[in-house]
This record gives sequence, C-alpha cells and structure tokens, in this order.
Amino acid sequence: MRGAFSGLRAWLLQRLTAVYMAAFSAFLFLHFATDPPVSFESWRDWVMRPEVSIATFVFFTALLLHAWVGIRDVVLDYLHPMMVRVPVLATVGFGLVALEAWTARILLIS
Amino acid sequence: MRFSIYRYNPEQDSAPWMQGYDIALRPEDRMLLDALIRIKAEDDSLTFRRSCREGVCGSDAMSINGRNGLACITRISDLKEPVELRPLPSFPVIRDLVVDMTLFFKQYHSVRPYLINDEPAPEKEHLQSPEDRDKLDGLYECILCACCTSQCPSSWWNPDKFVGPAGLLQAYRFIIDSRDRATQERLDDLNDPYRLFRCRSIMNCTEVCPRGLSPSRAIEKIRLMMVKGSL
Amino acid sequence: MAEFKQARPVFFDLVRIRFPVGAVASIGHRVSGVVLVLFTPALIYLFDASLRSAQDYQRLGALLDHMLAKALALVIFWAFAHHFLAGIRHLLMDVDVGSSLTAARRSAWVVNVTSVSLALGAGWALL
Repeated sequence: MRGAFSGLRAWLLQRLTAVYMAAFSAFLFLHFATDPPVSFESWRDWVMRPEVSIATFVFFTALLLHAWVGIRDVVLDYLHPMMVRVPVLATVGFGLVALEAWTARILLIS
Repeated sequence: MRFSIYRYNPEQDSAPWMQGYDIALRPEDRMLLDALIRIKAEDDSLTFRRSCREGVCGSDAMSINGRNGLACITRISDLKEPVELRPLPSFPVIRDLVVDMTLFFKQYHSVRPYLINDEPAPEKEHLQSPEDRDKLDGLYECILCACCTSQCPSSWWNPDKFVGPAGLLQAYRFIIDSRDRATQERLDDLNDPYRLFRCRSIMNCTEVCPRGLSPSRAIEKIRLMMVKGSL
Repeated sequence: MAEFKQARPVFFDLVRIRFPVGAVASIGHRVSGVVLVLFTPALIYLFDASLRSAQDYQRLGALLDHMLAKALALVIFWAFAHHFLAGIRHLLMDVDVGSSLTAARRSAWVVNVTSVSLALGAGWALL
C-alpha cells in the first residue's frame, strides 16, 4: 500500500488541509462577527465574489480530503476484514467525490 | 493490604478470574513487588515475572490499577486499595500476570535495532562527538518492558502491523545515531500506512513509561525527518 | 504439549484500563471528526439552499426553531470546537511545541474543557 495516499503523504495532506481549514474558519468567524450578511442578496453577492467562492471551494476540497484521510484512519484501525473494509472505503470515497462535484456546481458553475 | 489479582492457569481454568488477597505487610515492604513476593510466600501458585527488582530489567510490567507500570518501582503507599493487578492489556496471557511478548519483540526486531555501517572499520573505534552522543539520551535507556506498547490504542488495533511505541523509540535511537549509515532506509521502511503512521499522538506511551522516556516525541521527530527528507 | 496450544486469554477490558486526559482528548478528536464528516453532506446541502433563493435563505433562519435541530446543532458545535482545538494542539505538537508530557496534559485539559464549555455556552444562548 505504498503510493499516493499512504504513510507520510496522507499525514501531510491531513496537516496541510487542517491548516487551511483552520485559517479559513478563523477568517469566516471574523468576517461574520464584523460584517454579518443582512439579506439573501448581500450573502449571495459576497459568496459569489470570485476570491470568496474560490477560497470556499478550496475549503470544501480540503474538508473532503481531510475527511478521507480521517475516515481511512478510522477504518484501518477498527475494520479489519477486507470484505467490510473495501466496500466501506469505496462508498466513502464515492460519496466524497460526489460531494466535491456538488460544491463545484454550487461555487464554480453559476 | 487488600489486592485483587488476575488469575489464569491454563491447566485448570477455562477462563481468567480475579482472586482477592488480604496480606499483612511489613515496614520494609515498600514497593509493589515486595507485596507480590509476600503474597507468593502464602500462595505459591501465583505467577509473575521479576528479576532485578530495581526497574532495570523490565520483567515485572503489569497493569496496576488500570495503568501499566513496573511492580518493583511502584510505591505501595501510592496505590489505592484494593490494588487491582492484571497482566499487560492486549497481550496473550500465559499464566496469571505473565504474558506472551513474542509479537512485541517481533516488532522491536523489525526496526533493525542495531548499528548498520558497512564502511571499512576504522583503525580504532567509531568516534562520536559528545553532541552526537547526547542525541541518544532519552532513547537508549529503554528496557523493553512493553508498558508503553501495551497501553497504546494504535497497537491494540493493529499489533501486527503498527510497530508500536517501544519499537519506534528504538527506530529513532538508530535513525539519529551519527555512526549509523542506514538512516534513509530506516525512514523509508517506516513510511507506509501502518508501521509508524498508525500513531495518533495519544501519548499513553509517554504517560506510562516507567523510565520517563517519551516515545511519542521520538515518533514526532521521525515524522519531521520524513517531511524534511521529502521536500 | 498440546494443551498449551489452546487460545490464550487476553486482558482487554476498556473499563478496567485507565485513560489519561490525553487519551480522552484523542478519542474526542476521533468521535468529533466522524460527527463532522456525517454532517458534511447536510452542510453542503444547507449551503446550497442558502444560495438558491430568498425564500430558501429565509427558511434556513427558521431551522433552529426546532428543539431537535437545536440539540443537533449543539453536538455539531461541540464537535467543531473540539476538533478545531485538538487539531491546533496536534499541529503545534508536530513542530515540537508543547509536546512534553506536562504541557500535553495541560493542553489536553484545556481542549476538553473549553470545547464542552463552549458548547454549553452556545446551548444556553440558543435556549
């Protein structure tokens, strides 16, 4: 199981996505604390500003990658039979890819 | 003093059970091992390992009130009664407090815990600067008692694939040894999803190490070396 | 020696093994992570809805009126707070900040207590 998502790579991916998400969460928190959206239009306009929608898309991508590494860790720890492990990981992986496509549709195609 | 001790004799018992003991201690009985020897004098069927009785050989590791430690250096006065003694968690029990350490030592050997250096031997010894020698402090003192590995959840779930804190501490001891020449091979060997990266920095290992060592920190340092090496 | 071939028992009773504060922070990290992953589809759904139309946007504001939604929101809030704080703790320990046992115990306490307090505070504010 050496390769793209094993060992160090998965760990690094987990840490890098964590750093991005922490920074983005802090930014979101500060933004909403100082300048909360007052209406649907102002909220939508703010989200659809290119820099915001791209940063948000990167956030969701980071979230889904982070989720993959985390769930994979949980599965490697607790689910040992391959008959269980492979379908679970496949389902999670498929689900995460679908969610990624969904966020791309929300944020990039409109 | 009251004790509750895990008993299992494979020739008689179909399952382990807990036996209560109420034992009169003498003033010179200061460590848990003294009490165990006192109990064994009354009930010689009780089985446990011990040798040096001063925290150097690592034989008498056990679960003491739910926490792994060495009986010989655990003060009786620090223990809550009844003192519950069980074999090291997650290790197969051979009899009473004696466990099978085969897998533990297999993992230890898998990190090749010896100097690897195929260069022609120098005329005298392999010299090491005092600074390089200092890097081994906090690593070489491990007595392989298995308190850490037996308390580590990552080892519980994957004892056959995760090297475990004791083995990884020794891996780092050779990775940073200036005389060793297999540093990169050692790092590569640990870079898979299991051998090192099952560690979640829970730090149970460091919590229970009777020698006050920090396997979790050694693991962190190995990871940092891997990161630096991959840049 | 056939009788020794029988399966050996193993002492592994999680109730009888003590979990130091760092282990509690760690299992909390894992549980909160799974909670957050399970919430992620809903988060994306809510985000999508908030951008769809003014009516959908308004309806989201009313979502927290339900008691069940409030309870769920609290669990998710705790999960986020715990995962965030425990994550920062691990990131710092990765670069050798606070990875001594004393410091790690203290930070684990801070993470466990702060996340629960924040969730309780948020619960109080919601009610």
